[in-house]
Amino acid sequence: MLQFDRVSLDSDTETLRAQVREFLEDNESHFTTPNSDFGTGHDPEFSRKLGERGWIGMTWPKRYGGGERTFFERYVVTEETLAAGAPVSAHWIADRQSGPLLLRFGTEAQRETYLPQITAGEAYFSIGMSEPDTGSDLASVRTTAIKEGDQYRINGTKIWTTDAHRNHFIICLVRTDPSATRHDGLSQIIVDLKNDGVDVRPIANMAGGEDFNEVVFDDVMVPADRIVGEPGNGWTQVTSELAYERSGPERFLSAFRVFVELVRACGPDPAAHEAAAIGRIAAHLMTMRRMSISVAGMLQGGKDVAVEAALVKELGNNFEKVLPEIARLAAPESAIKGRFRETFEETMLLSPSFTLRGGTREILRGVIARGLGLR
Amino acid sequence: MSEAQETRQIILDTAERMFGDLCDKQLLDAAEQGEFAAPLWEQIAANGFHHLGAAASGTSAADLYAFLMTCGRHAVPLPLAETLLVNNWREPDNGLYSIGIVDGDEVVDVPWGRRAEAVIAVNPATGAVCAIDTPEVVRQSVNMAGEPRDVVRLTSDAVPLEVADDPFAQLALTRANLMAGGVQALLELGITFASEREQFGRQISKFQAIQHSLAIIASEAAAARRAADAAVDALGDERFVVEVAASKARIGEAVTVAAEQVHQIHGAMGFTHEHRLHHFSRRTWAWRDEFGNEFFWQQRLGAHLANLGADKVWSFMATRG
Ligand SMILES: Cc1cc2nc3c(=O)[nH]c(=O)nc-3n(C[C@H](O)[C@H](O)[C@H](O)COP(=O)(O)OP(=O)(O)OC[C@H]3O[C@@H](n4cnc5c(N)ncnc54)[C@H](O)[C@@H]3O)c2cc1C
Repeated sequence: MLQFDRVSLDSDTETLRAQVREFLEDNESHFTTPNSDFGTGHDPEFSRKLGERGWIGMTWPKRYGGGERTFFERYVVTEETLAAGAPVSAHWIADRQSGPLLLRFGTEAQRETYLPQITAGEAYFSIGMSEPDTGSDLASVRTTAIKEGDQYRINGTKIWTTDAHRNHFIICLVRTDPSATRHDGLSQIIVDLKNDGVDVRPIANMAGGEDFNEVVFDDVMVPADRIVGEPGNGWTQVTSELAYERSGPERFLSAFRVFVELVRACGPDPAAHEAAAIGRIAAHLMTMRRMSISVAGMLQGGKDVAVEAALVKELGNNFEKVLPEIARLAAPESAIKGRFRETFEETMLLSPSFTLRGGTREILRGVIARGLGLR
Repeated sequence: MSEAQETRQIILDTAERMFGDLCDKQLLDAAEQGEFAAPLWEQIAANGFHHLGAAASGTSAADLYAFLMTCGRHAVPLPLAETLLVNNWREPDNGLYSIGIVDGDEVVDVPWGRRAEAVIAVNPATGAVCAIDTPEVVRQSVNMAGEPRDVVRLTSDAVPLEVADDPFAQLALTRANLMAGGVQALLELGITFASEREQFGRQISKFQAIQHSLAIIASEAAAARRAADAAVDALGDERFVVEVAASKARIGEAVTVAAEQVHQIHGAMGFTHEHRLHHFSRRTWAWRDEFGNEFFWQQRLGAHLANLGADKVWSFMATRG
């Protein structure tokens, strides 16, 4: 049975937490609109400042610029920055998954090249998984990378690529052996978004932002040493990357600022239904946070967390969508104008993406069902 | 494993075996007809489980609540939550005890009041607690799961009692743990049934709709358990009451979701008296409303947060755990 052990952040993390809070207060000028969605707010200057403090790549070895700190310490930094609504999206993917991927599977040269830039808050990565005809069925990717001498020739299209127009690199899941079927013949390859001749076209989203893109590869040539790890090992690598993508506090905090504004709008002496709405949201968030910390504990212990991470994401993403709905109905009339309304509308417009990005709700339920031995 | 963890494991393994052997459908049906499960109670007392958490027993309050979670998983038809709390609130003894809520000159919702050798009355408004040593049952009654919930006279000679952590919150915490165990049972029943029942030439567990439904129940079960453990860990802490509030409110919602889904999975069979599913769905439904329902505890927690103010909400959430 799935179990989430009683894990708590040890008291060592409290000093760090205080430092992060102080840092965030000093840097409030970077929070144009406080938003706890990890996908909004791309601010290289802010990311560099976090890097300077040693708060990116915190768990990685020192020789690559990391801090050799615990997953709990990393947890504290991620939850504090999100809850404050800080602009974290520039470094987010590199810190959460590209770096750990390179650390685990990359070549020594790749680690030495990319990891120190990431921890400095200077190199930002995008995820090149989805394609026009490949969504949930990730093993159906068609983009090819064919070896020619000491180079790879890449052809195909990636889509929904968050921040490809702002970031420096993309790690693409590609087919290096087109004759192999499905999971075989897949590899991951690093492409330089600024210098390799990739065509990046922003796609406007329904919330009024231009965050994701179509990325077209038309005979793009990259050196052979950009293959991450072993050619043909792409499927194993990409699935391990997804586990990192799924369990963190960003999976239940996207709508957190709406909660904060609800409490502000209700004031110190709320009506019964207002208090109940606040309490209901808090009860959910407190429980998910603890489950997420339990997963951080498993990561710290070197355990495979794929199913538990899917479960936290499933609960968290569903609740991120419910939270604005509870808040909307409970908020007093005075909140119709003002900060609550603004935060609510921004989050509501982003909310359809919560149960899609990083694996849809339906796919996650499938992962959990497999964990229950049903498939 | 630490020594404390080993002790807990032995308690839970023993309880698991005992309930697995004795607490079957027949016993649950008989209890619902008003029959007291004497052999089971004797076994529990013989193992000393009725003293869990009491100072002299060498066990902790966390052991007590972990045991109650196991009781919930087996729908144990005895007033164990109450007997255990009474043995923690005063010098432990070997009787069967119960606890109820003061309502005028009566004590209401007293589990198995008719069998209790003493009844403790809790006044949620004042936090006052007193013991009635020769309880007189005014009326017999049952909750929607058929569990005895009697009414006892509040006598003027009731003896006042000092209880350390908020007594009403402790009672709510017993229900939180029973429910967390109950939701786990709902998940297990759902998995078993879905793997056995065949339609369209295959096990219904092979249908994606059923798999998703079980994934939802599993998520709620995991959340319920984590929420229950968190509140138990807050015993003795100044945040105890608000942690119980979060726990009881969250787990009540888990019951609502899990019970609905698991009944759907069971089809008509789950709607029969013959199938044991209802022993778990009716109990978990009833426990949601005992000692403060979701709305009650959400309000308590919400009022606390509103009082702290919007800019303190995060630091409240990020303290403990
Ligand atoms: C804001 C945002 C940012 C994103 N950023 C990135 C990024 O940076 N890089 C990247 O590679 N991708 C990114 N994605 C894409 C994301 O990973 C996909 O949206 C996701 O994998 C689902 O694919 P799809 O949208 O094509 O939907 P589809 O897979 O076509 O699914 C459509 C619907 O069918 C359901 N469905 C599909 N298969 C099954 C099945 N087997 N059983 C039951 N139901 C099923 C899905 O759950 C969904 O409800 C982003 C998406 C969003 C919304």
